Amino acid sequence: MPRAIRGVLVECDPSIKSIIVKIDSEEHAFIVEDLDDQTLVIKENMLAVLKMRLDEALKETQQPPSDSGSD
Amino acid sequence: MSVSSLASFEYLEGLPGTTFRRLYLQPSTALAIFRRMLPHLDLELWVHPNSKSFDHALTLPRQPTEALSLLSRLHIVHITARTRDEPQVVSLTKAFGSSLRLALTGGGDHQSFGVPSNDSTTADVDLNFLDDYAQMQWEGILHFVVSSAGEGMRQGGQGPTAAVKQLLESGHLVTRARHSGGGITQAGFSFLLQEANAQVWTLLLLWIKNAKEMEMDSVDVLSFLFMLGSLELGRAYSTTTLTASQKQMITYLVDFGLVYIPPSTKNQFFPTRLATTLTSDATALRSVAAGFNAAHTNASAMKGFIIIETNYRLYAYTTSPLQIAVLSLFTKLTTRYPNMVSGRITRESIYRAISHGITSDQVISYLSTHAHPQLLKASAAHGGGPVLPPTVVDQIRLWQIENERMKATSGFLFLEFESQKEYDACAKYADEIGVLVWRSDPKRMFFVSRVEQLRDYIKSRKIK
Repeated sequence: MPRAIRGVLVECDPSIKSIIVKIDSEEHAFIVEDLDDQTLVIKENMLAVLKMRLDEALKETQQPPSDSGSD
Repeated sequence: MSVSSLASFEYLEGLPGTTFRRLYLQPSTALAIFRRMLPHLDLELWVHPNSKSFDHALTLPRQPTEALSLLSRLHIVHITARTRDEPQVVSLTKAFGSSLRLALTGGGDHQSFGVPSNDSTTADVDLNFLDDYAQMQWEGILHFVVSSAGEGMRQGGQGPTAAVKQLLESGHLVTRARHSGGGITQAGFSFLLQEANAQVWTLLLLWIKNAKEMEMDSVDVLSFLFMLGSLELGRAYSTTTLTASQKQMITYLVDFGLVYIPPSTKNQFFPTRLATTLTSDATALRSVAAGFNAAHTNASAMKGFIIIETNYRLYAYTTSPLQIAVLSLFTKLTTRYPNMVSGRITRESIYRAISHGITSDQVISYLSTHAHPQLLKASAAHGGGPVLPPTVVDQIRLWQIENERMKATSGFLFLEFESQKEYDACAKYADEIGVLVWRSDPKRMFFVSRVEQLRDYIKSRKIK
């Protein structure tokens, strides 16, 4: 009998995936199954938290380009 | 498929079979569901040469398609499990079949299409009046949702009733807790950008979900709504034949602007345009707006009023606080003149909108549906090109993609199949019913968005 696991399938770039893995490595609270370079399954109730943590992680590494032109 | 029908279908699909059996007792419900889904489905099923009568069982020549699986989720058809000896058989469920036949032939004494009032109608209730009334009530609700975002937008006029406010709150369209930038929520923003008919359905579905708390039966509420959808605009109906719970419901519907009860004659009610287009398909959505337009030829609210230039500058010829508030959700507004506001669409303003849950497509569709006639004329002059400047549209999409780092789909991961054969069969079945999202053949795993039918399928495989 096959097994079914409830979760959220996340598809993203390999770079983003490695950040998610890094976030998860701290407390293992997110990832249910690591499927491949671009896909993983995470816990359903943790999606919003993961998104927030990912945004934080990206803010540290990225400088948003400022808008050109003025009003 | 329009947004509204998607939302109402998703709700319906989640209902248990017993609920459907009770729903389909009303011919108006059967007809409404039939009407609503007809445009989206393979007509072949309905006019198949074998299906001479509605509940005549027809054998399935091929695997169940996505359309059939939707029909079975709505308990319109019953599909028998495939066995070795007999082919799969599809038949119309008894309750739906007989009710639909009643609805189409007009037989029976079920009063499910409302009873017209015989009393003399109130003279001053005409189509214009009903449209005015419906729009006033509905804009009151929208105003409340928007104005909960920004203080100072708050209007002195009458807002929606306390019951409606409570409903909006319990549906998380607005929140009293003023964290994360005000009282309006992500769901509230998406709600605002929907078309009127989709908004009505969103609110009604919220209402149905809360029906239990208000001591009402959700089946009663649903069948009453479907009945309203089959009524005739501008005609008086009698309230005396309504059941006690329906009378209770109608007071809420008055708050929503779906129904009007003249103060002088309490035993009559008039369905408004919001109610009578409930169960129509997508084309009728526009006729709601068109109907309002006809009633308000001088109201700028419903006409196109937005001009957007290739340099992301936006000019909106409107004085409506509602429209300005909606615009400010995704635009950096800078100046307000007596008859217009101007501003720019910036990366930050779009980011802010996205962080509240508005998608770029919603912004773009809002801009193009409300585009100023000048923009439409310009696009027609260029041989029917795009209405909005393509650079702006592309950039709004790019801004969204920049922020969308991952695509999330909730559902179930299937793994640990005993054999390749079992895996192949299950994955193939999942693909055919349209729920397969991701698969990995080497790992023998796949991910599906819905599990119910697949679970039945796996069980039926075990039995063999």
